[in-house]
Amino acid sequence: MSFLFGGGARPQPTSAEKIAAAEAEIEMVSNMFNQLVDTCTRKCIPPQYREADLNKGESVCLDRCVAKFFEVNVKVSEKMQGEAAQRQGAGAAPAGGMFG
Amino acid sequence: MERKLIEGFVEQMQLAMESCPAKSAISGVMGFGLGGMFGLFMSSMRYDTPLTAQGAEISKLPVAQQLRQGFKEMGRASWGSAKNFGMVGMIFAGTECAIEGFRAKNDLTNGVAAGCITGGALAAKAGPQAAAVGCAGFAAFSAAIDYYMRMPSDDPGNDPVM
Repeated sequence: MSFLFGGGARPQPTSAEKIAAAEAEIEMVSNMFNQLVDTCTRKCIPPQYREADLNKGESVCLDRCVAKFFEVNVKVSEKMQGEAAQRQGAGAAPAGGMFG
Repeated sequence: MERKLIEGFVEQMQLAMESCPAKSAISGVMGFGLGGMFGLFMSSMRYDTPLTAQGAEISKLPVAQQLRQGFKEMGRASWGSAKNFGMVGMIFAGTECAIEGFRAKNDLTNGVAAGCITGGALAAKAGPQAAAVGCAGFAAFSAAIDYYMRMPSDDPGNDPVM
């Protein structure tokens, strides 16, 4: 009977829940943006402002920094999802084993 | 709508101007011009006087011929110098831009390494020792110039507070 744990119909999210989900997503995205800007500015732009434009070294550094940030983000979230799925699978198995 | 197109085009042109081949070409052309001027001045100082044997021969010719020979000399010296300087400028700018793009840092060492490569490449025909001397000399020259350009100015209003 363990297949019922994933197979049951979930209730539709109410509008309050949708608003809360959208707010959370906006906050997450803006957090990520601020963190990205802070990290890459700290790493790539030395505090000597001899000119206003980004020179070639700085723009290349910023490109690489942003790309690496997103890759790290993706890899970490993949691993977290893997961990969560493992924990869920490990949590469901003993519960199903009680019946079976 | 057209304004956006024009602005996009201008931005693309600016990006293209900052690319390595464009920088190298611009520097080469500027070096060519500078070398031409330099060669012109140098040739005017190196001109033969009537006291030497070669100079005495030239001074026997009619004035028009003398002038023509003089201008030919000036042109040859100017052209040689322009080619040399243009080569130097092109190679230096190109290698410095490439090294900076590779390291993703804007440092003194970019100029030093580019100077070494330029000096070595220009003197490569004369053997490895000449190449090493050229590398060291040009690297030192580039380091001195870059250090002077990067010195913080005495005017505190110019450098912002950080």
